[in-house]
Amino acid sequence: MSNAIRFQFSKGPEVMFLSHLDVLRAMERALRRAKLPIAFTEGFSPRPIMSFSFALPVGVLSEAEYADFRFAEEMDPADFMERFNYHLPSGFQVIAAEQLAEGSPSLMNEINAALWKVALPHTSRKEIEERLRGLEARDSFVVERQTKKGNRSVDLLPLLFGVSKIEESGNGVDVHCLAGVGNEGNLRVEELGLLLGFSPAEAVITRIGQFKKAGSQYWTPLGNRGFTWTER
Amino acid sequence: MDMRLMPLLPLVTKPARYTNNEVNAQHKEWSEDKITMALAFPDIYDVGMAHLGFKILYSIINGRRDAVAERVYAPWVDMQQLMLEHNIPLSALESGHDLRDFDLVGFTLQHELSYTNILKMLDLAGIPRRTSQRGEDDPLVVAGGPCAFNVEPIADFFDFVVLGEGEEVIHEILDLVKEKKGQEAGRTEILKELARVPGVYVPSFYRPVYANGRFESLEPLYRGLPTRIEKRVVADLNTLPFPEEFVVPFAEVVHDRVMVEILRGCTRGCRFCQAGMIYRPVRERDPEVIKELVAKLVESTGYDEISLSSLSSGDYTQIGPLVRELIDIYQGCGMSVSLPSLRLDSFAVELAQEIQKARKTGLTFAPEAGTQRLRDVINKNVTDQDLKEVVQGAFQAGWSRIKLYFMIGLPTETEEDLDGIVDLAHRVLKWGREFRTSPRRPEVTVSVASFVPKAHTPFQWMGQDTLESLAAKQAYLKERLRRPGITFNFHHGEQSLLEAVFARGDRRLSQVLERAVDMGCQFDSWIDQFRYDLWLQAFRDVGLDPADYAQRSLEPSQPLPWSHLSPGLDTEFLLREWQLAQQGIPTADCRWDRCTRCAVCFDLAVANRLTEGSSGE
Repeated sequence: MSNAIRFQFSKGPEVMFLSHLDVLRAMERALRRAKLPIAFTEGFSPRPIMSFSFALPVGVLSEAEYADFRFAEEMDPADFMERFNYHLPSGFQVIAAEQLAEGSPSLMNEINAALWKVALPHTSRKEIEERLRGLEARDSFVVERQTKKGNRSVDLLPLLFGVSKIEESGNGVDVHCLAGVGNEGNLRVEELGLLLGFSPAEAVITRIGQFKKAGSQYWTPLGNRGFTWTER
Repeated sequence: MDMRLMPLLPLVTKPARYTNNEVNAQHKEWSEDKITMALAFPDIYDVGMAHLGFKILYSIINGRRDAVAERVYAPWVDMQQLMLEHNIPLSALESGHDLRDFDLVGFTLQHELSYTNILKMLDLAGIPRRTSQRGEDDPLVVAGGPCAFNVEPIADFFDFVVLGEGEEVIHEILDLVKEKKGQEAGRTEILKELARVPGVYVPSFYRPVYANGRFESLEPLYRGLPTRIEKRVVADLNTLPFPEEFVVPFAEVVHDRVMVEILRGCTRGCRFCQAGMIYRPVRERDPEVIKELVAKLVESTGYDEISLSSLSSGDYTQIGPLVRELIDIYQGCGMSVSLPSLRLDSFAVELAQEIQKARKTGLTFAPEAGTQRLRDVINKNVTDQDLKEVVQGAFQAGWSRIKLYFMIGLPTETEEDLDGIVDLAHRVLKWGREFRTSPRRPEVTVSVASFVPKAHTPFQWMGQDTLESLAAKQAYLKERLRRPGITFNFHHGEQSLLEAVFARGDRRLSQVLERAVDMGCQFDSWIDQFRYDLWLQAFRDVGLDPADYAQRSLEPSQPLPWSHLSPGLDTEFLLREWQLAQQGIPTADCRWDRCTRCAVCFDLAVANRLTEGSSGE
């Protein structure tokens, strides 16, 4: 048995405008309210041992956030889920939890792909399909990215792995996009907007999956369920 | 929350200020038989969420079946702009109901520089600014808090004002307003009834009289109105309700921690300090009650920091044992205990040592003046010897950063007193080099504020230094404190000037405030928002001179615009203290020494209430 737990949680409309730091703080406080014995780092200013998947942008919903918590003692995942969910602020919910084997790679190292659902209330399937054909015809889609060290040119095309589904919904469509996330190559939501032609403020965006991707194989960080998606 | 704001949230900084749904936020159903009150803080969420007074009222009001309390803060300028563009009025956080739909809107007056925000919030809410402009459908707009003790400059904007402590009087107000609303009574009738409640002041029932451009008197317009409104005060903190839950913000706010008030009031008697005068007498909360409240709040909030708050926490009789016990219970679980407002004595260093065992971040002391002579004038009873022992002790115990607070422009100040500040800063640095045990180089921060004369203090008659003189003194200090290891900060004189104008002002200033808001003044305590040029324009437009309010020294025989708003102090006491100040004679603390005859205990039938035991051990 191990003292570490990996879990998947959702971030609903009540808390979608919290920053990554706000989420960390809210979780720390929920742990303390739940009296769950989180482990602390050694040293002068002990910090709870918690690590999260790549930060979700402010204003975006999620059904697939991940975190690893290390506890001071053995922790039963079902027990953790029940007690933590009871004390989490409304809008957060732990969906699944399991024990994490010692020496498992961190979420930041593992996760490199995300599945986004972009709900565009006033866009038709035809418009999206045309847009995608336009992208297919291109060799590159270079934008200037602002970083702390100044501007840098980035080609966005290789960061978009594909559109896996277009679903009609009301007068608009839900577009499911697989894209790079994390340190190896990260597509920002506003850049996804540039590729598909929407402004993030008008769309309702949900992160519905995060994966470890190896070639065309995608595996969930928890439960190890997989699927195959071949880029064209 | 107000769902109309949803599409605006992606467009503003820190949207979590506006989203509500925090843990422990109360979402009570609105119904005809409930009385509703918005607790309005005239600054942004990040600042207002720290205010303990509103946490207390929020819990008391929501503890009633027949009442609802909700929070509202000033939206930041970016959100204000969007609200105006989209025609969305200011609403309360919990239910999203418009502010104007509440029965009562209560503002807290913590600071003179927040007054523009009050008008701005009323404007955004679509509530007429002046009580004379409001109709039967508008909420009753009420104010309380320390600045209520001279509410005159903004009296025209409030239907009624509450003086003193709110825990008891809030029930009387809610009961009365509820009953009268049930009878479909009009505003004037309700206000007439409210004017009979002790501690309640209805400004529109009084008319100020001026002669030769000076305030002369305040005339009651009806028979039977009190000519002096005495503050409300509770005798015993232990029987008072204190919240067992705090709303836990998601966004980062100041003082985001468990706060338990361990004592109320301070009788040290610093002659510049308004809080020390208006919150008398001293009442300590029982340590058992404090520990129980801490435990409940830790459990309900999940905070990792516990703050024992008061005007001077080191004065709490059993502070040592209390802090040690709390550290024993909580420090093991990654939590910390903090004591704001520690007075400068060797015991403070001992306590700080217990609290900051691991990380010695910095210690702050407030000698307030640079020489013993001037400290005697202001009755800051700290000696040079105390300073030396404390600072040396702190360096020996491992601290490397010391922050010192001073004021300039104090009564009787001379160049010698400024030199005293410089000298003290240098001595502290020298002690640091001699006594430090930390590997870090010693650092001294000297922070200098400008003296602001406040109503109901012994210095209320004293005029503020001119801007030129304050600037010259700042330059003098800056020049002499320019050396490695010393950092020098000072407050902006223009803000202190405006603070002084409103601290000692009269009702004529209401026009200046309105004019300033119309021209765009708000968030005056934020230096990047403060527009002194617009303020000067507003004074010119109305035909009043800010210097006349701030810098004029008053004759003790002269009528004061705030004399009817009583914190229970005898004017003779203030005058005695003013004379002793000029002679440089200190006055001892009545907790441990003889009665200073301030008259609060006698007038208000209360007394200092200390817990058993001695300080230290």
